[in-house]
Amino acid sequence: MKVLVLNAGSSSIKYQLFDVDNKVVLAKGSVDKIGMSDSYLQNKRSDGDEVKLEGEILEHQTGIEYVLGVLVSEKHGSVGSLEEIDAVGHRVVHGGEAFQGSVLINDQVIQRIEECASLAPLHNPPNLKGIYAINELLPTTPQIAVFDTAFHQTMPKFAYMYAIPYSLYKKYGLRRYGFHGTSHLYVSRRACEITGVDFHTQKIITCHLGNGASITAISHGKSVDTSMGLTPVEGMIMGTRSGDLDLGVLTYIMDKEELGVKEANTLINKHSGILGISGVSSDMREVERAAEDGNNRARLALEMYDYRIIKYIGSYTAAMGGVDMIVFTGGIGENADRLRESVCKKFGFLGLEFDSEKNKGLRAKEAILSKPESKVAVLVVPTNEELVIAEETMKVYLREKNRDKEE
Amino acid sequence: MGYSVEPIEGYAIKRRDKPTIRKNRYEFTKVGIVGCGILGQEITRMLSSHGLDVIFVEISEEKIEQAMASISSDLDHMIERWGMTFSEKRSIMSKIKGSMNYEDLEGSDIVIEAVKSRSRESSVELRKRIFREIEKYIATDAIIATNSTTLVITEMSSELEYPDRCVSLHFLSPADKTEVVEIARGLHTSDSTYEKVCQFANMFEKKVVPVIESPGVISTRLIAPLINEACEILMEGVGKLEDIDDTMKMGFGFPLGPFEIADKIGLDTIVRWLDNLYREFGDQKYKASPLLKKMVRANHLGRETQKGFYRYNNEGKKIIDKKE
Repeated sequence: MKVLVLNAGSSSIKYQLFDVDNKVVLAKGSVDKIGMSDSYLQNKRSDGDEVKLEGEILEHQTGIEYVLGVLVSEKHGSVGSLEEIDAVGHRVVHGGEAFQGSVLINDQVIQRIEECASLAPLHNPPNLKGIYAINELLPTTPQIAVFDTAFHQTMPKFAYMYAIPYSLYKKYGLRRYGFHGTSHLYVSRRACEITGVDFHTQKIITCHLGNGASITAISHGKSVDTSMGLTPVEGMIMGTRSGDLDLGVLTYIMDKEELGVKEANTLINKHSGILGISGVSSDMREVERAAEDGNNRARLALEMYDYRIIKYIGSYTAAMGGVDMIVFTGGIGENADRLRESVCKKFGFLGLEFDSEKNKGLRAKEAILSKPESKVAVLVVPTNEELVIAEETMKVYLREKNRDKEE
Repeated sequence: MGYSVEPIEGYAIKRRDKPTIRKNRYEFTKVGIVGCGILGQEITRMLSSHGLDVIFVEISEEKIEQAMASISSDLDHMIERWGMTFSEKRSIMSKIKGSMNYEDLEGSDIVIEAVKSRSRESSVELRKRIFREIEKYIATDAIIATNSTTLVITEMSSELEYPDRCVSLHFLSPADKTEVVEIARGLHTSDSTYEKVCQFANMFEKKVVPVIESPGVISTRLIAPLINEACEILMEGVGKLEDIDDTMKMGFGFPLGPFEIADKIGLDTIVRWLDNLYREFGDQKYKASPLLKKMVRANHLGRETQKGFYRYNNEGKKIIDKKE
């Protein structure tokens, strides 16, 4: 079964074409700078053939027309015809409270995603553009929506509510939703496969540390808490985001510097985090280098970054009444051995025995970093959100197909 | 197997001879601006930060450089105030080009005239000429808009070959922050032009206020007499300058008082608005206050000349006198 996975952003579209049965990527690529004069499409086929197509791509639909075009093209294509694509899976950032899992897209689903757009004004509208485009270009191909928020819908109410007037939750749906759901789900399940334990018996803390970062507590196969909230700015310190912040700080700055909502938003989303503290960069590698060279603010940034993670792991351990497994993923989680060491060695009191030797220099591959006798397993699992979307798409597709048969 | 770069045309699954124009949906990618003074710069900044390519036409190399430098320093100011990042600034600046040739407007989906002129006679003629120049180089269905409100679009577009694409699109300064825009159709303006320009304004999250073509429409017709009356009150000695401003700010929630607004707009502009309104309506209430005229003659035009009702430093910030 072949599934096309689309991740449509505001000015880019990422895609992968999967042969899901064999877990093989047939082609992948992206359309970039949509609507700009120097837009282009890049496609890479599994056999190494690579092409960059340059030309005007004014909108998402045109971009997707070209994606489909290149996938069936004689020269750079991966399938003989569009009919070979059995289903299209879309990454949709915000599913609000309406979606607990992946769904087959129909008019009603589209309407609900549109309703969630006010909660993710930067993400849901481009996601929808991808859906509209496929609707027009491949009207008979089933489309499935996989939500970043869905996995976290199992959080108990006391974990997802904010302590602000209840009426605001009723009126605007203001609550914690969490993000990176597909990633947390994938790496936690995969970690259980690697260690040979049952996903549904484990207490797992997954650390997705990339450009955006979030930590999730997964108890018996369900997300019970996660660090991102209504928006992706809550929780961890990130490249340019502040993470948790006393709201008084924000109102104080807004008042003192006469900032509007837009400026305040940019301040906490783009000028803060690792970049804001270190003044060096939002890139972890550069900040680590600067710290090694003796830059005190870079060192402080790293200390703060690690400390926030440690606090969250500690609190989630308490929330779940223990932890069996800690999983690192995302660009930083998969690569930063310094960070993994600094975080894990704090948890000796839980009986976590960390294998520093194995950790050192380990980058972007699956590994168990705890010693065999450790009471808490530590793993690195590179994330693969596209694969999860493809598998979810197949699952929903087959479920719907069987339902049709039964009816 | 290897890496190659190819043109994208021919790879779409549906081959198109012409780009299909869908109903109710228009694409704007390139915008022309004629006249890049303060308002022109604000519009340019707003458009380019939304990813549009902007070409502005000015009358000299010096003016082009001035406009570029001023846009750049405004963006720096936004960075200082956390409103933007350096890489965003780079991408915005890369979308802006200045030119002395109307030819470079070619390919624009909409051209906005934002010229500042000194007197009425010259400004109508000037704009008619500008409109004719613009029309030479842009597609027949590209929109020509003016930002002026006291001059009516029907008159300015009267000599064009396709006057149906002309519309009055009035951004209030600062164009990138003010959330409202007045759109007036002239006698010739077609439905599709009007619809397109509304969609254009919506791209920037503006509330569109549709107005009937009338000198000064809403904003200018209300603010100009208010400032004028404030001058009368001041001249009569009823109250002090700052107190008049404070009364309006604290009493009615104005963000700026009438004199602060006047300095921001420019006193010469206000006198010109009043003259135009007086000429059109013939009502005494639009007769410019002698105080305004006197200050304009003395070149005390407001923030622009650092001296108006208040004094300003070279960053446009009000200088507060301590002696009082």
